[in-house]
Amino acid sequence: MNAFENAAPADGLTRRRGLLVPALILLLVFAALPALLAGFDKGYFYQIANLALIFVLLSASMHLVTGVAGLLHLGHAAFYGVGAYTAALLTSKLGLGFTVTLPLSGLVAALVAFLVALPTMRLVSIYFAVATLAIGQMLYLVMLNWVDFTKGPNGVIVSKGFELFGFSLSGRLGAYYTVAAVVTLSVIAIGRLSHSYYGNALRSIREDDQCADAMGVSTVRLKMEAFTLSAFFAGIAGSLWAHMTGYISPGDFKFSESILILAMVVVGGLGSLPGAVIGALLLILLPEGLRALGDFRNIMVGLVMFLSILLLPKGLLGEVSALRLVRRQLGAAWRNTGPANGKGEGIGWR
Amino acid sequence: MNFRLLTLTTLTAAGIAGSAFAADTVKLGYQLPLTGDTAQYGQDFRKAAEIALTEFNAAGKPFKVEIVFEDSRSDAKEGTNIARKFVDDKEIVGVLGDFTSGVSMAAAQVYKDAGMPQLSQTASHPDYTKISKYQFRNIATQAQEGPYNAKWMATKGFKNVAVIAEQTDWGQSVVSGFSDAVKANGGTVAFSEFFNRGLKDYRSLISKIERAKPDAIYTGFFYEDGAQFLKQLQQLGIKTPVYSTSAAYSPKLIELAGGAAEGVHLTSNFLPTDPSPNVQHFVDEWKKRSDGAVPGQFPAQAYDAVRIMLAAVEKASPNPTREKVRDALAQTKDFPGVTGKTSFSADREAEKELVKVEVKGGAFVPVAD
Repeated sequence: MNAFENAAPADGLTRRRGLLVPALILLLVFAALPALLAGFDKGYFYQIANLALIFVLLSASMHLVTGVAGLLHLGHAAFYGVGAYTAALLTSKLGLGFTVTLPLSGLVAALVAFLVALPTMRLVSIYFAVATLAIGQMLYLVMLNWVDFTKGPNGVIVSKGFELFGFSLSGRLGAYYTVAAVVTLSVIAIGRLSHSYYGNALRSIREDDQCADAMGVSTVRLKMEAFTLSAFFAGIAGSLWAHMTGYISPGDFKFSESILILAMVVVGGLGSLPGAVIGALLLILLPEGLRALGDFRNIMVGLVMFLSILLLPKGLLGEVSALRLVRRQLGAAWRNTGPANGKGEGIGWR
Repeated sequence: MNFRLLTLTTLTAAGIAGSAFAADTVKLGYQLPLTGDTAQYGQDFRKAAEIALTEFNAAGKPFKVEIVFEDSRSDAKEGTNIARKFVDDKEIVGVLGDFTSGVSMAAAQVYKDAGMPQLSQTASHPDYTKISKYQFRNIATQAQEGPYNAKWMATKGFKNVAVIAEQTDWGQSVVSGFSDAVKANGGTVAFSEFFNRGLKDYRSLISKIERAKPDAIYTGFFYEDGAQFLKQLQQLGIKTPVYSTSAAYSPKLIELAGGAAEGVHLTSNFLPTDPSPNVQHFVDEWKKRSDGAVPGQFPAQAYDAVRIMLAAVEKASPNPTREKVRDALAQTKDFPGVTGKTSFSADREAEKELVKVEVKGGAFVPVAD
């Protein structure tokens, strides 16, 4: 406490300036936007706002593992699904409310992530990416085919909306504030994680994992933690989605959703949390905004993504070029590490 | 105070103007996949809806109807967004769609709260119509089709049958609806399994079926999967008779499977060869808009769904409201559509007449038994 107070005057100005932007964003999310939404009073705008916020959380959680730690993750939507199914099944089978299902969704998703991460964390580069792809498909197929437990393709109806300790928040504004509060707190947590020594350790894995390892960074453990944490937040997002729509089915969590989230992180800029947030907003709001174009809207969305990767290879605000990262990840499979390495040249595990 | 009064008057005036407009034009919403994996179905539905709408508006009714089409890409996110959008539009008094049960049910949660009547041409999930009194469907459920086919196969002497279906909510209902009826008739289900939509290689599934030595195979698939399955069955030289549901009833099944579709038995409630004038009119209109192609079961269901909805709007007018349209829909009885006469039961399920069909000489031919 004392140390903090002593340190404060030294960079008080920058600190104050640094707080201005977050304060403005908080004002926007919790005052201006709800006022605007209430003014328009359109369920459609509330829906889009909530959906955009949920994808902000998904994108931010993937940012931690793909943007900061540099691990190409192709199965993120599956953990989103695990969270959603946890919430839905707890609600439909045990009658639990949002207050209980929210943390449990995150924890179950994190637990599943931890278990599947155990054997895969030794994989590097493209092999890791393929493993996450397989994990995503595996979890999706479990949701689809374990009919007795998940009701399979029949999906699950989630009869309860948002509530806090039995106090209903299922009105339009209540739902918005619930989603906004959960997402904001989660994004702040992710921000603290990625802008810290911890985040820098993760960045060192992204830049050169062997070097990081040599410097004494426990790369396998860090990767594991980043993967599990990111799944935790994806699970939280899943719980929000389940209680918001009232009905979920495996189709909501298929591979294309993982790719959508990955695209958000890439368009926004790998390694940048504001980038991940903006990427999510862009890829949710753009297709909705372009509805007037009819059948051409997906072409327009594709064009925006294509141009953004062509003209802004680092994304809007990125730290690293997505192309460079992918090239290195793919290239690692063929990289000849030479005789100095002694054994296992170009092999995809450590 | 004055300002408030002014606003109030303006709003009222706007409201009156709005309702005056509504008296001339009634709006309906149609959510359907116009892009994405299932776009071919959505595009067909739009075509069918446009035929129905053009006819209605040309018939000199006291009001015109406009349909707002929105693309859901068969994605629940987009489906619920559209549902909110339709609900916000006060002029929209009824909604058609979506294509898949999953999206229809996610959207239904919105329509349930808003009190918006929703009529899907294809949603077959057993729980769909149970969501609220606002959900209707214009498709024969497997609870109806399964027992019908089971009886048909029993009369043909097939006691021991294999069942396969796609791994979707609809596929689940195909297997349960049919298997229960087979067992009730004293038959046995030798084998039952699900496959994922879009499967390319059915050979292992086919050999598993053959190991169970069934008298006949009952299948729950759409035409794309069906054509693959039938072709591979033929390549393996298997002659076990194949029965299927109305979902496979599409000219594209024969087009894609060629000779392999020969001898397949299925049910349908739409026959493009039916000489009755309304069917021939629809088939002609469809051919004009699709380079001479013949419509299948689903476009016909969509065409009827739109016409049922239009009839309900007409019954609810003047000044139709969502509630009045819902009540009018619920009263639909013996609606003379191209898919036969349709009535809605008390639980808003379409009761349809089924026709037995066999593929003979590269065409669907109705058979007596």
